Amino acid sequence: MIKAENIHKSFGKLEVLKGIDMEVHPGEVVVMVGVSGSGKSTFLRCLNFLELTNDGVITIDGKRVDQKKDDLSKVRAEVGMVFQHFNLFPHKTVLENVMEAPIMVKKMDKAKAKANALDILGKVGLSDKADVYPNKLSGGQKQRVAIARALAMEPKALLFDEPTSALDPELVGEVLQVMKELAEDGMTMVVVTHEMKFAKEVADRIIMLNEGVIIEDADPDTFFNHSTNERTRQFLEMVNV
Amino acid sequence: MPELLVTIYDVFMRTYKGFLQAGLLTIEITAIAVVVGTFLGIVFALMKISHSKILQTIANLYITIIRGTPLIVQIMFLYYGITSIIILSNFWAGAIALGIHNGAYIAEIFRGSIQGVDRGQREASLALGMNRTQTMRRIIFPQALRRAIPPLGNQFIITLKDSSLVYVIGVSELFGLANREAASSFLPLETFLVVGFYYLVLVMIFTALLRWYENKLDVDK
Repeated sequence: MIKAENIHKSFGKLEVLKGIDMEVHPGEVVVMVGVSGSGKSTFLRCLNFLELTNDGVITIDGKRVDQKKDDLSKVRAEVGMVFQHFNLFPHKTVLENVMEAPIMVKKMDKAKAKANALDILGKVGLSDKADVYPNKLSGGQKQRVAIARALAMEPKALLFDEPTSALDPELVGEVLQVMKELAEDGMTMVVVTHEMKFAKEVADRIIMLNEGVIIEDADPDTFFNHSTNERTRQFLEMVNV
Repeated sequence: MPELLVTIYDVFMRTYKGFLQAGLLTIEITAIAVVVGTFLGIVFALMKISHSKILQTIANLYITIIRGTPLIVQIMFLYYGITSIIILSNFWAGAIALGIHNGAYIAEIFRGSIQGVDRGQREASLALGMNRTQTMRRIIFPQALRRAIPPLGNQFIITLKDSSLVYVIGVSELFGLANREAASSFLPLETFLVVGFYYLVLVMIFTALLRWYENKLDVDK
């Protein structure tokens, strides 16, 4: 579904990604972990071309993406993204947030977009908030709307960039629950997170990044219980698992 | 002092009909200037934040020249410059000059408010597959407009008062009329006090409208 080969990314002189290779298969949930500054968020942003790579090849659903020549809007329309700070559109209601992209990008007619949006809001448990503006929502509700907004485009895969890091602890659970249900429904997901419990329960694979390279790519059992990598073990001790 | 009040009252009663008409002219000139200025402001703000070096240079040139020269010079220049090419009444020449003048300041207001919208808004919009034009039109600009309203209101008040300068090309708006009245009646102090009062009333009405509109926007949000 998503294939990244030899991804390099620098900001000025600082090389953040030093040759990343990874592949995500359809229906797979890949959790990316690592200390801050390890490059995991940057890598995720490269997968959606919010950052353009300096070198390497990204293939989405079998199509190799040419960053310079391809219409990146079309590529992005097929891969959803959920941000740490939600980035809901404050001047639009919850319903309008979810309807916006299907109408503008897919040219869906308004009535159908509305029906779809209400359906998806129901799935994330927010039907009753459809006509509310985002500033009236809790953090957990905001993030669920953001997930609904991404789902409305019927993406082939979803990228999550630390989706629970900006939430109060008591609100983390409701967001993780929605993500878990998505995973069970077979959504292809790449999740950057510090939630080790989620990684353990939901991930098919866990990838550990350190200083811009992948140092471990394993199933949860191996990763948490049998890792031979020194840095992985240090990391696990640090996050207290 | 009571004598002054009496003469002010006399001047007021004698001139109010004329001033009401002149006031209408002031409002018209201001309205045209605000529309022209806002249009130019949006266009030049978008040029300035575009990725094209040529468009950026044009916008910078416009802003530099307009902000760097006095409004009264611009009015004179436009009036005597343009009326030598096409026939334009002094009313329209003045209103357009005032609009072009305001465009430069309004461009800077819009540029600031567009750039002040959180970067995450643009990213979220792009990530949904919206292109750059859709992102600007549907997501960034509506938010920028809300931020721009207080400084825009301020700029419009300045425009209203600056419209007095078009008297130099012979437009009989508030100040133009006051100038003539002052000369013919030999009562400059009283006349200019009266005309100052008219400007004050207009600005207060406009300020109230602006406050009402800002509140309305807040409720919607």
